[in-house]
Amino acid sequence: MELQINGRTVQADADPGMPLLWLLRDVLNMTGTKYGCGVAACGACTVRVDGEAVRSCSIPVSAVIGKRIQTIEALGAPGKPHALQAAWISEQVPQCGYCQSGMLMAAAALLDKTPKPTDADIDAAMTNICRCGTYQRIRVAIKRAAGVVPGGAMKKAKA
Amino acid sequence: MKRRAWLLSAAGAAGALVVGWCLLPARSRLGIAARPWPASGEPDLTGVVFNGWIKIKADGGVVLAMPRSEMGQGVHTALAMLVAEELDVPLQRVSLEQAGADTIYGNVAMLVGSLPFHPLEVDDYAAEGAPKVRPAKVRVGEWMMGKLARELGINATGGSSSVADAWEVLRTAAATARASLLGAASLDWKLPVDELSVKNGVISHPSGPSAHYGELAKFAAVTPPGEVILKSRKDWKLIGRSAPRLDTPAKVDGTAVFGLDVRLPGMLYAAIRLCPMLGGSAGAIQANAVLSQPGVERLVRLPAYAGSTAGLAVVGKTWWQAQRAALAVPVEWQQRPAGGLDSRKIEKTLETALEREEGYAFYIKGDAGKVEAGAVRKVEALYRAPYLAHAALEPMNCTAQVKEGKVWLWAPTQVPQMAVAVAARVAGVAPEDVHLTVTLLGGGFGRRLEVDCVAQAVRVALECGGRPVQLIWSREEDTTHDFYRPMQVARLSAAVGPEGQINLTIKSAGDAITPRWLERNLPALAGPVDTPDKSAAEGLFDLPYGFASQKMSHVATRSGVPVGYWRSVGHSQNAFFSESFMDELAWDAKQDPLAFRRSLLADAPRHLAVLDLAASKAGWGSALPAGRARGIALHEAFGSIVAQVVEVSLLNGTPRVHRVVCAVDCGTVINPGMVAQQMEGSVIFALSAALHGQIDIEDGVVRQKNFPQYKMVGLAQSPLVETHLVPSERAPGGAGEPGVPPLAPALANALFSLTGKRLRALPLVLDSA
Repeated sequence: MELQINGRTVQADADPGMPLLWLLRDVLNMTGTKYGCGVAACGACTVRVDGEAVRSCSIPVSAVIGKRIQTIEALGAPGKPHALQAAWISEQVPQCGYCQSGMLMAAAALLDKTPKPTDADIDAAMTNICRCGTYQRIRVAIKRAAGVVPGGAMKKAKA
Repeated sequence: MKRRAWLLSAAGAAGALVVGWCLLPARSRLGIAARPWPASGEPDLTGVVFNGWIKIKADGGVVLAMPRSEMGQGVHTALAMLVAEELDVPLQRVSLEQAGADTIYGNVAMLVGSLPFHPLEVDDYAAEGAPKVRPAKVRVGEWMMGKLARELGINATGGSSSVADAWEVLRTAAATARASLLGAASLDWKLPVDELSVKNGVISHPSGPSAHYGELAKFAAVTPPGEVILKSRKDWKLIGRSAPRLDTPAKVDGTAVFGLDVRLPGMLYAAIRLCPMLGGSAGAIQANAVLSQPGVERLVRLPAYAGSTAGLAVVGKTWWQAQRAALAVPVEWQQRPAGGLDSRKIEKTLETALEREEGYAFYIKGDAGKVEAGAVRKVEALYRAPYLAHAALEPMNCTAQVKEGKVWLWAPTQVPQMAVAVAARVAGVAPEDVHLTVTLLGGGFGRRLEVDCVAQAVRVALECGGRPVQLIWSREEDTTHDFYRPMQVARLSAAVGPEGQINLTIKSAGDAITPRWLERNLPALAGPVDTPDKSAAEGLFDLPYGFASQKMSHVATRSGVPVGYWRSVGHSQNAFFSESFMDELAWDAKQDPLAFRRSLLADAPRHLAVLDLAASKAGWGSALPAGRARGIALHEAFGSIVAQVVEVSLLNGTPRVHRVVCAVDCGTVINPGMVAQQMEGSVIFALSAALHGQIDIEDGVVRQKNFPQYKMVGLAQSPLVETHLVPSERAPGGAGEPGVPPLAPALANALFSLTGKRLRALPLVLDSA
């Protein structure tokens, strides 16, 4: 089958019923997208399909043929990080980092649709699980990338 | 020889040996330049080795041997900062190489921290200008354990101990290298060493000569360092300032390599299915039913490895194909011989044990009878905490290859030596023939102090004809076959005298963790009988309050449920018991909960300062909007003191936490931004447990399977967490765990203030009352 992944046409030999996650990870060796729960509950596997945030563990490959798939590997370009990635670094968001690919892809989908999100918009769009509890920095980083507020998580830790 | 005489002489000989050993200086942890390192991973052999920790590359870059696992706590950055500080290089000039198996990399602070001493006896208050001689048992105990730990050299990342352990060792290793480099420049240039200066890894003299570390390294490695003096606090440029973490860039572009991201040529994938009944086994397996499925290679039976449950693994070309077959294969599961485990029955057993058994007394202070005799009131309460799973977001996994009598492992583990040891046992090779690469960990929280998954991966790899295989647990297997935080119950009672003096009696019951963990992971250190386990009593025996008299005892049970270390371990539920009960005592005394605690902290000035800082930053006592209330809790764990003030309201009858103010005294802070990260993370981790966390076992089967049943707090429910640090010049304490324990009691206390309902069981559910 033929898939459109990160702006390229990719030939892949896989069961059409295989979830997109496993095609990415085990067939194409694109490991930036993570497995966390397999039931679309945690969002670690979030990618974008035609711009929408999609939980790739629960969508078969057959459902994404002909659609534009974007993964964390193509969110930014080498030496030119996406505004969200830059904000994630400024706000020092990640701890273990395992959920962050999915978080960034969900945030990218949010900002494309809602360039100036409110707290309620962020609450509604960011439903992924982070076991390290980086949520408040994610909120600030999204706002920073969107230009809604200046950053400053680093400054908040007072010595 | 009569038996008694023989015994005496044997004891005398052993005693002489022990005394002799004690007189020897403690084993050095610097290591020697002659020894190549590291022993595993893919070493870059181009640098010049200065000691077991520091290597200088030709371009002047510094390589640090890294024994500790990065699981989100920032240890790779924190330890690199210590080295960069003493060597005067920018943090970005420090790169990491995985350390080998030498005993110098053992975690001494973790073992010393496991001694059951009261923190007020351990703490040295000389820093406050009030010299206090620490009790002899503490000084001798710590010294002996420290010496033993250096001999054992157990490398583990746990107990919030990595920075405390590295504090002296790494700075000394770096300062020694720096001294040799300066010495080499001095000799080479024939200029006095005290006229040389270092900036950004370049040594120079005002008269002109200048060279970077790489140019001097070869000569310096054979130059004695002379007297090594650590930088004084006022000269620090890195320590104490927030610096961006070294691992962040790779964690935002998808290139960070976790265990699950290892990719090797010809690699296969394995999915597992363990007996759903904990401790059970597999009878007949109809492997033929699935072996013809596309992409399926083979099926392997799995014994109950390293404390886990028996089952099977299916190997496939992709994990999805292997997992589909593993779920479909017909298996006759067999219950454990002792019968199915049941968490409700275990709870009853624990309550009975509380009533009937004495337990081991971890702490006794004062004359209980004195207060009891004249008591005017009595307050008593029974508290409970359920089993909990770790639920690290990266499911358990390990990649293994067995070829030509050697084993290669790629594992996200907190215990590299134990991973190597279990792999060697399963493959039947010597530990020297096992090569381990420790990947990043997608969360650890104590679950990766276990090596069940490593053993399974090696077992499967043995069947794969030399091809590497990546074994991954599904989320369902991860939730249902964890080593759970043990269920605990505790009865707390206080007799209150006419002047408000208190006799506090605490007795708790639950499974001990350390004896079970030793049995499965370090059998050589497991005793024939269980010794008292501090981890069960911590957070109950070690309170900072000046009660008139106090007794704390723990009844250690053995339920059969696999139990393990869960972020902050005993403190995680015991702080809920003790700090909720403190709140009960405050209300009973008709005192403000903050004022009540303050009145009992005369001998604990550090605790008082932390409590006061949290209260003042939270605006304790100031008005709140209608429908909101505050709760406070104070707790010391892993050498650090944390107080939290929680603000809560009810939304459709369920608690909604808005704000959590944390005050922390964790000694000298290396990177304040990372301490704040750990406080924020600890609050969310603890909040998920406090509101939702519960593992139920029926007929041996864990009922909660995945995140929809084992719920987590999400972004929309997460409070704003503020972190305030108490300035300190003490040696560093822990940061990864101490923020967890105070959250549940602070929240329960806030809910009491709001609703008048005292919740004495976790998770905190209002309508069940």
